[in-house]
Amino acid sequence: MFHETVVRFGALTAMGPTSLAVRAGEFLTVVGPSGCGKSTLLNLIAGTLQASSGQVLYDGRTVSGPNPHVGYITQKNYCLPWRTVAANIRLPLEFRRVQRAEAERRVAAAIRQVGLSGFEHAYPRQLSGGMLQRVMIARTLAYGPATYLMDEPFGSLDAQLRLHMHVELMRLWRETGSTFVFVTHDLHEAIALGDRVVVMSGRPGRPKFILGIDLPRPRDVVALQGDPRFGAYFRQLWDAIDVH
Amino acid sequence: MSIEQIGQDVPARIDAPAPAVARPLGAGPFGAMLASRAGLAVVQAVILAVIIAAWQAVADGMHTEFWTSSPLGVARALAKWWSSGTLTTDLRLTLFEAGCGFVAGSLAGGIVGFVLGWIRGLGDVFEPFVLSLYTLPKIALAPLFVLWFGIGPLNKVMFAGLLVFFMVFFTTFQGIRQVDRDIVANARLLGASRAQIWTKIAMPYAAVWIFTGLRIGLPYALIGAIVGEFVAADSGVGFRIKESTSYFDTAGVFAGLVVLMAVSLLFLGLLKIVERHVLRWQDPGMTVTAPDHQA
Repeated sequence: MFHETVVRFGALTAMGPTSLAVRAGEFLTVVGPSGCGKSTLLNLIAGTLQASSGQVLYDGRTVSGPNPHVGYITQKNYCLPWRTVAANIRLPLEFRRVQRAEAERRVAAAIRQVGLSGFEHAYPRQLSGGMLQRVMIARTLAYGPATYLMDEPFGSLDAQLRLHMHVELMRLWRETGSTFVFVTHDLHEAIALGDRVVVMSGRPGRPKFILGIDLPRPRDVVALQGDPRFGAYFRQLWDAIDVH
Repeated sequence: MSIEQIGQDVPARIDAPAPAVARPLGAGPFGAMLASRAGLAVVQAVILAVIIAAWQAVADGMHTEFWTSSPLGVARALAKWWSSGTLTTDLRLTLFEAGCGFVAGSLAGGIVGFVLGWIRGLGDVFEPFVLSLYTLPKIALAPLFVLWFGIGPLNKVMFAGLLVFFMVFFTTFQGIRQVDRDIVANARLLGASRAQIWTKIAMPYAAVWIFTGLRIGLPYALIGAIVGEFVAADSGVGFRIKESTSYFDTAGVFAGLVVLMAVSLLFLGLLKIVERHVLRWQDPGMTVTAPDHQA
């Protein structure tokens, strides 16, 4: 939850003042023009960035350092090239000193959930972009954070694979019951996935419009594209985002 | 010149694309032979045999035995050393000196390189100091080392260690500085402690460079031991070479060189095996090959 939060980089005000509450268990998507502070929002929740003024609360407590309750997935892939898929997924469990047997169990479960069975002992350089992104998701799943922060995680994937990942992501969200904050610049993606869509204004970025997406779940992300309500939501977002 | 620049001409970049596979030389049967591992070994063995035969022929035909010795003369000298036991004692001493120097120099170079590479400010402060020591012709320090560490093995260990230190230092320094800071930040978010970032992220990340340093440093350990023995010693392979020279025993000199070459190759081979195991995640084309560095 954000309360009158402002972020400045020198003289440049990147974000704010922003007040926004993320609801537990919801799928919140964030859209807006480039450089509007979408990533800044996630960095604040993750605790990798401190607000210049105002407050960032997580579970009622001020975020003052790396937030261990979140999983952060970006377009960049942080696989360690010298570790196999399984060892990469085990990394956060090693950091958190999870017992070996328990860690192995969780890694195996995460690999199954993202559909990487059979690739446990492959090295990252042998995998495609989509598979690497699954490794990143599995690595987050393995330690089961309460909140997933996703910064255009599928930005580098082709359209087909992206749709496929949406289906899987929806399933994961249902299965984990975690809160998802998903940043994208793709309005289709934002509507198809989100319970609510936050539209950020241009710099300094701040939420200027929040749209509740009242589409039944589970959603068929493919069939959804032809739904008349989908078109109406798209129109609303398009008008809100268009600053020209 | 900066430390980075020195390090740069040593290792290849970790993300460098694998070089295109070399085409076989020519299209004929000879090219095909070089393409297979066994064929390559045969060709190399033939070249070696030709060199040895030519050496023997020149020594016999042009009577240069006094200056160039001959393969037979070298073999006789080796046999003599072997039967008298000097080969074993000399080799044991020289290997002990080079080995201790290699381990000490690698550890010191690795640790200092790691610290100065990781803490950027510290690295910037000490860079000119390390560089000025590096540019010094180390051979000129050998007599001073006799004064400091005596004429025993300690002197050779320290000298070998000094040479190895710089090789491992520069590559480790460079490798650690290359560590992707985004990956480090990400690991911190995943819950990594400071020590875990060093052992699980930074060190494996820099392993390619560190191994390059070790590989280049290995011959330097022998060079250090031999130079030390040249300056002051009463046994060791280096001492034996010097002694043979003073008796105009060319065969003895060449025998000593052959022994050194064999030992160097053996240890490089061993290191290669270790390296291949540790860096097995890499493309074969991505492994760094040691540049030719001469003292």
